[in-house]
Order: sequence, then C-alpha cells, then structure tokens
Amino acid sequence: MKRISAYFFSLFILSGICSTSAQDSISIRRSVKIGADIFGPAYYFTDRNIFAAEGFFSFDIDTARAVVVEAGYLDYKYSQYNYTYLNKGFFMRMGIDFNLLQPETSMGKYYAGIGLRYGISGFRSEVPSFKDDNYWGTVYGSVPPDTYLAHFVEASPGIRTELFRNFIIGWSVRLRILIWSGTGKDNKSIYIPGYGNGTRSFSPGINYYLIWNIPLRKPL
Amino acid sequence: MKQIITGPASRFIIAIFVIIRIFSCTPQGCLEESDVRVRGSFYQTGTGKIRKVDSITLFGMGIDTLKIYDRVQNVTSISIPLNAGSDTCTFIMKLDGIADTVTFIYKTVPHFISKECGYTFFHNIEKVTNTRQEIDFLIDNRYISTANEENIRIFL
Repeated sequence: MKRISAYFFSLFILSGICSTSAQDSISIRRSVKIGADIFGPAYYFTDRNIFAAEGFFSFDIDTARAVVVEAGYLDYKYSQYNYTYLNKGFFMRMGIDFNLLQPETSMGKYYAGIGLRYGISGFRSEVPSFKDDNYWGTVYGSVPPDTYLAHFVEASPGIRTELFRNFIIGWSVRLRILIWSGTGKDNKSIYIPGYGNGTRSFSPGINYYLIWNIPLRKPL
Repeated sequence: MKQIITGPASRFIIAIFVIIRIFSCTPQGCLEESDVRVRGSFYQTGTGKIRKVDSITLFGMGIDTLKIYDRVQNVTSISIPLNAGSDTCTFIMKLDGIADTVTFIYKTVPHFISKECGYTFFHNIEKVTNTRQEIDFLIDNRYISTANEENIRIFL
C-alpha cells in the first residue's frame, strides 16, 4: 500500500520536474483554476440521503499538463427493511490532467483530455441496526462506528470549455479502481467517499464543474 | 472550437458513461447466499469413511414443534442453524430413534453480505458437547459462514 502511494507521488513529482514549455507561436498565460462540482449538490435534490460536495484546483505545468487536486465531503445514508447504513467522510484526489488539444486549439481556454488520479478517502461508517431471521427467530444486531482509510486510482476523460471570460464549465467521466477498501472481511463499505460503490472493485462516476480561471503573469 | 468540444466529443463521453452505468448496475433483490449453518457429515468410527444414517430427527431445545430434520432417511450430512442471539445452542438429535443432546458454544460476529441482502451473523465454534458417549463430534472448521464447507465430523 505504501509502495503504491510512493510510486504515484514519484510520478507526480517527476512529471513536474521534467516538464518543458511547448514551443508555441501563441502566447498562453499559465493559470490556476478553482472550481466546484455541481453534480453532487444537484443529485442531493433528487435523493436526500446522499450529500456530496467537491472542489477542484489545478495549476498549469505547461500547455498540455496541469497538476490537479480535488477534495470533498460525503454524507451517505441507506436504509432498507432489514438494516440501516450511515457513512460520513472526506476524500482527496491528486493527479495530472493531460490536454490532448494542441496549444493553438486549446488557447489556454479549452480542454479535451484525460486525467489520472490517485485518491484517498477517510470515513466513518456504522450500522445502527440490522436484523437477521433464521430457525431461532429474529435477531437484532448493530455494527458500531469505526473509521477507515481507502485508496483508489482513477482515469477521468473529460472536456472543459470557456463559457465567458475566465469562467469555464466542464465535465468528466470517472473510472475508478479500488486498491484498498480499509475494511475487514466481515464488514464492507457500501459507499466510499470520492470513490463510489465500496463493494465493487470498479466504480464509475461523473462530475460537472464550474471553474474560475485565474491567469497568472508568467506565460507557458 | 466550442462546437468541436461540445459536439462529438461530448456525445462520445456521454455514451461511454451510459454504457458503463448500464453494465455496472446491480440487479435488484438479494441473490447471494445468506443462510449460515454448521455443516457436518457422518463418519464411521474406526474406518473414517462417510456413512449413512437410516433416520434423523433434529430440532432446537424447546422448539420440538418446528423440526430441522423430521425422520429424514438415508442422510450422510446435515446443516444446523445456530442461534445468533446467544453464545450457546442446544439441539436434540435422534439418530435411528436414539436421542442425543448436542450443545454448541461459539462466538458471533456480524457479517456484511451485500447491499441488497444486508447483514447476517457468522460464528466461530469454540466447543461442541453431546451426551451420548458412543458419538463423537470433531470440529473440522470453526468458522461458520455461508460457504458450503464441512465444519464438523460426527463419528458414529
């Protein structure tokens, strides 16, 4: 687990050290982008049992790559006839976005590419009550609250476009693979913040971002 | 530029997501095995070979109106449900008409099956005792789960 984390951080650092500015005839200013996901809050209006909030920050390495950090919070409730499950926690995803558009096309405003992320999720879950029926009758039980740490990796193809000056909208599909769920053999997390279905090793998702683009003085 | 990005690329990504969601959707209903039982087979003392029992009746102590096995014939193996609300469980087992009182002592832990099925209880057997001296119970696998694995051997 530590080795996987170390490899991702090494890749992350090396990509920054080895970055070189593209030889463009167009001057594109390096920028910082700050945004928020609106898919989570919008979904909350359809299902009050799931509240997810997520923020986005990126810093341009060059015209083709940007360092990205995403962080968020999840409050998840699920209940059916035989149990209730509660989960709250925070997550963070770090990685790089690769813009597949040429600098002459992207102009520092448009993005069509793929991101690679390493994600970590810290959460607290519990099962306040569940029931089980067998020959001896109905027995009630519970799983006390406990904290867990999950790790996952993600590929996120997506697009972004400038709506008006320095205001960008965009969305991406999230393809996640669970590395470590953090729970034991008897207890799995139904939902992991930042990842999704904790009972599956693969979990897809979608994000829709509103982003504020902040151009810096230094050109790429 | 906006059209290039929002047009074909947009539709492509939407299509990928829809396909992924379709294939990732779990079917409704509990499909996983959720019945937790102690699984045991009958063996011949001396030879160690599996043997049949001509007739078996099995019920929980105090629940003689609801039988787990009611004069079932030619049985080589049985499965026994434990009481998750207690750490001991006693059964009356009649083999070929002769009764034996069997007691299981165990620890119980909650176990998550799936989102659709919910939770059940798994057990770890610590001890099995019985009253008939000619019948021996040997614990093969203490971990009682939904898996179809032998947990005890009953030597006759």
